[in-house]
Amino acid sequence: MSDAIDPVLKNARREAIIIGVAWFLSTVYCCVYCYWTGYIREGHPLGAEDVRPILGMPSWVFWGIMVPWLICSLFTFWFAGFYMTDDDLGMDHTNELESDIREGGLHE
Amino acid sequence: MNKVQAIHAQPPTLIALILFTLISLGLGVVANLAQRKGSFLEKYFLGGRSLGAFAVALTAAVMSGGTFVGFPSLVYSFGWVVGLWIASYMIAPVTVLGVLGKRIGQLSRKTGAITLPDLFRERYGSPTLGLMTSLLVMFFLVCNLVAQFSAGARIMKIVLPAQTASFFVSDDLAATADVAYYVGLAIFTVTVVAYTTYGGFLAAIWTDVFQSIIMAIGVMLLLPLAMAASGGFAQATYAGIEQTDPGFAFGPGAGRAFHPIGLAISFFFMWAITGMGQPSTLVRLMAFRDSRTLRYSIIYLTIYNALIYIPLIFIFVAARSILPNLASSDDVMPSLVIKLANPYVAGLILAAPYGAVLSTVSGWLLIVSSGLVRDLYQRFLRPTASEREIARASYSTTVVIGLIVAVVALKPPTYLQLIIVFSSTGMASAFLMPAMLGCFWRRATAVGAIASMATGTIVTLALYLLGTIGPDKLHLEWLVGPNQPIGAASAFRPFYLFQLDPCVWGLASSLAAGLIGSWLSSPPSEARVSLLFDAQPPDAPAPATLELHADANAGAI
Repeated sequence: MSDAIDPVLKNARREAIIIGVAWFLSTVYCCVYCYWTGYIREGHPLGAEDVRPILGMPSWVFWGIMVPWLICSLFTFWFAGFYMTDDDLGMDHTNELESDIREGGLHE
Repeated sequence: MNKVQAIHAQPPTLIALILFTLISLGLGVVANLAQRKGSFLEKYFLGGRSLGAFAVALTAAVMSGGTFVGFPSLVYSFGWVVGLWIASYMIAPVTVLGVLGKRIGQLSRKTGAITLPDLFRERYGSPTLGLMTSLLVMFFLVCNLVAQFSAGARIMKIVLPAQTASFFVSDDLAATADVAYYVGLAIFTVTVVAYTTYGGFLAAIWTDVFQSIIMAIGVMLLLPLAMAASGGFAQATYAGIEQTDPGFAFGPGAGRAFHPIGLAISFFFMWAITGMGQPSTLVRLMAFRDSRTLRYSIIYLTIYNALIYIPLIFIFVAARSILPNLASSDDVMPSLVIKLANPYVAGLILAAPYGAVLSTVSGWLLIVSSGLVRDLYQRFLRPTASEREIARASYSTTVVIGLIVAVVALKPPTYLQLIIVFSSTGMASAFLMPAMLGCFWRRATAVGAIASMATGTIVTLALYLLGTIGPDKLHLEWLVGPNQPIGAASAFRPFYLFQLDPCVWGLASSLAAGLIGSWLSSPPSEARVSLLFDAQPPDAPAPATLELHADANAGAI
């Protein structure tokens, strides 16, 4: 046995934290922006004149959904294409587990 | 005129479906021949851990019948706010595949696990947890399978020629019973059971890839046609406002508070987070070839999601100009396709939802039968069974499960889409936190995982029970207040506590129970945890071997 932390675990944990931050930022930005500019609510009535289309879609959809979608896609390309490490996932122990199940059965 | 009935008159649609069916059966045969590496169970239920990036990406795209029928109906009904409903797909590829992918792939190799119950049992050293996982997977997936079988039969019924019923029974009986539905169900069942049983995991994956490509082609063909026919998307938006109200262009949606801010937040959990905890996703994370494959699959899935979902929003907003005031919004997809495309292209596009249902069902069917064969038959009943016996058990279990689900689907359930959402929420609430804690926290224990799984399941079931029966009938209105009239209208619905979807409560309670349960129980066996969390020499054994020979797991629950 070794006391050193598994390098795959170390990389996977770091990558998961970064993904978690990206998810949190996209959630907060989209929900806050869309609610603030694109939701009909008390004191914030909206009508046809407020659509202000950009490329055919209401402006709140363009800035609140499409632009962050593009940014998230670019982030993902960078993250998966350049940042994530190629780790060796180790030997496949499927046959060992199968024979252990059989051996366990024989011992019963 | 009923738009759905019009599809009966389109022979090219039927030809496309027959082609789909034949190709799926062919893929089953080819998949069977292609499986060479590894033990039977690993080949049959996991494709020999050989999935490439394209296959992982397209099969993780979680396309089902709902993508091409339910989603367009929502856009047509409620307008642009459905863009926010689906917006978390912008980040979902990297969360669903990237957070757990490497560790699940590594742990499944280190433990030798080929099913989700296998993985939990070996990670936590707990047969009870393995059994509990099997039973919960079966419960939620069978609910889901009944809904999907019914969806497949309904699509087949729409596409079959109108005279089909009278071909099988007398005209009198055909007039009183829904014979076309039964014929559709029989054809769907025979097809999916045949190719899944024969081809196993690879057949399920290959049909999934095939239908995903057809769907993408369909969407790409529809987008320019819809843009030209609508006179532009802004024009369609104004038409939608005229036909409904200003909510068509803004949140929370036209005609009804479909997507208030609480649900908007919930749906960033629903797609991007609960997707990680689906057994079908976790199984794919056990089956990819290497971590380079994982990286590329994230990129491909990002591109695929953008190519499918963004155009679908535009296309079905445009439908407001092209097909104003449809009586049933569920008909918008077939109606639009028939109106815009030539009959052969329409046939191709209309076959896509059928293919989506077919491929979804085949994957789930295998998860249920793998649970029965590996986790119950081999683990508990016949540990010494030979490969040949296990192969026979696998084939027959897949057939029997398919037939049982088909019998249950003879009485078609209502609220198909909601049953699917319910079971997806339930599975994520049950499995995501035990998987996440098991991957990243060495102090996580079997007691914690069981508490986490049980709590997530109970909270989800309780919120659906409360929403469907009603807090007033359960005399709980004084405590939780009335259910909010938000989300899609339906009798089977959850209780939206503080306007949040049950997935948020299910995941939060499952995490809390997992942490508390682990802290309150004895630490896990250091020998087992070290094998899975510390750097090891290449010849380190699997935890099961350690347990078998060194009795390292004494006192396991």
